[in-house]
Amino acid sequence: MNELRPTVSGEPREGLSDPDRETLDRIVAGELDALEGLYERYRTMAYSIALRITAEPATAEDVVQEAFLGAWRNARRHVLMRGSVKTWLLSIVHHRAIDAVRRRRPTSEFPEPDAPTALPPALTMPDVWRSVVEGLDREALGRAMATISSVQRDALEMAYFGGLTQVEIANRLGVPLGTVKSRMRLGLLGLRRALVGPDGGYAVIDPPGPHGG
Amino acid sequence: MAGIRCSELSDLAPAFVLGALAPAEMATVRAHLAACPEAHAEFEELGSVLPALLASVDQVEPSEALLGRILDAARADRTRTSTPATAPTRDIRSAPTFLDRLGLGSGRVRPVWAGLGIAAVLAVVVLGSLDLQLQASNQELAAYQRGVAAVIDAASRPGAQVAILAPSSPSSQAAGIAAVRPDGTVAIAIRGLAPTSGSQVYEAWLVAANGKTVPIGGIQVGGTGSGTLVATNATPSPGVTVTLTLEPGPGATTPTLPLIASGAAQIRPG
Repeated sequence: MNELRPTVSGEPREGLSDPDRETLDRIVAGELDALEGLYERYRTMAYSIALRITAEPATAEDVVQEAFLGAWRNARRHVLMRGSVKTWLLSIVHHRAIDAVRRRRPTSEFPEPDAPTALPPALTMPDVWRSVVEGLDREALGRAMATISSVQRDALEMAYFGGLTQVEIANRLGVPLGTVKSRMRLGLLGLRRALVGPDGGYAVIDPPGPHGG
Repeated sequence: MAGIRCSELSDLAPAFVLGALAPAEMATVRAHLAACPEAHAEFEELGSVLPALLASVDQVEPSEALLGRILDAARADRTRTSTPATAPTRDIRSAPTFLDRLGLGSGRVRPVWAGLGIAAVLAVVVLGSLDLQLQASNQELAAYQRGVAAVIDAASRPGAQVAILAPSSPSSQAAGIAAVRPDGTVAIAIRGLAPTSGSQVYEAWLVAANGKTVPIGGIQVGGTGSGTLVATNATPSPGVTVTLTLEPGPGATTPTLPLIASGAAQIRPG
């Protein structure tokens, strides 16, 4: 299992020959074709995430448009940071979609929208896309999701797709804040266990061995 | 350090990676992570599954018309602003001395950075993390990368000043970059620092044009000689110089020698 390090997955570790990087370099140079290429590569994931969060096709498309426009404008900054382009792009989508749902919630603690091209806050999503998800099929992801309890999954989804704070989740569910905290922690750790090998290597979600069954 | 102790961070970690803290709490945690020499590996651990959450959503195609809208908007954006398409190109080798000091010949600099001016130098500091990566623990690398990200963030703010920190003596290998925001936030990422001994600490200073020198914080050195700092209470002024000294102990109020690295801050071009 030790050979199955994060680098085995689709995106090269530092991206020196990464097609996304080349695309981004061309975006920095102002090539619209490159933006189109990036869009074709990630439109489905981007839109699916936006739709899952906003639950409105029109809003979701606005979010995706803002995100790609943000990528267009801020590509230079991202080139400097050298992270995964996919992680960056999809975290912009996530961030903007969460913004959108928070804005339309009257009781939200998040009244002020970010500037249209603002980048997502650093560190809300580590640059690990390549290591965990790349190469896993949806069935495998589904199995991983099924390993955590439904209350844990609900807490994760209310936070990550619902845009609720842990306090808001506790209020909504009528449970103590500490309960929400522990559900989120156990949910994340449980998912990680399902996705990540015990040695810290990745890609062990599929049944190991010579497929006896 | 931004009003929160390391020991209090773990409790907030799950909600932080999910973005489920109130804005002020998010900012507090982020500031701590950017500045803290501790690894806080738990954040990486907990956050590493977020891509799986994103990938687990049902896949739906957007409408055919969306691409056209995006390209139209990008085209309009390009004609309205000077970036990114019409940014002037400038030869990266206009700063050979600094690149050489960092041990990075211009051959390693990718052409995409041409025209970025000070930002290109930032990139060199980021590139430096590749060297670190070969030898450092993931935690230290992550801490350094967070520090670099904080510098880039600060440098990108309107009115920010950026200083390239070059070695101040032949015996110093330290080089880095600092960004000073008008609101008094100073972010520094530096590498090539020699290990400290005993209670020694690297201290960063802001030196105003009139010579007034104010300490802005200590920088702890990791095993690979990298260090970062985010300070929030500095008083920036035009033409300020950012300086690093090696002090016999923490809490110095006036700098003593040796001077390790130094650079004059400038409003970033472009």
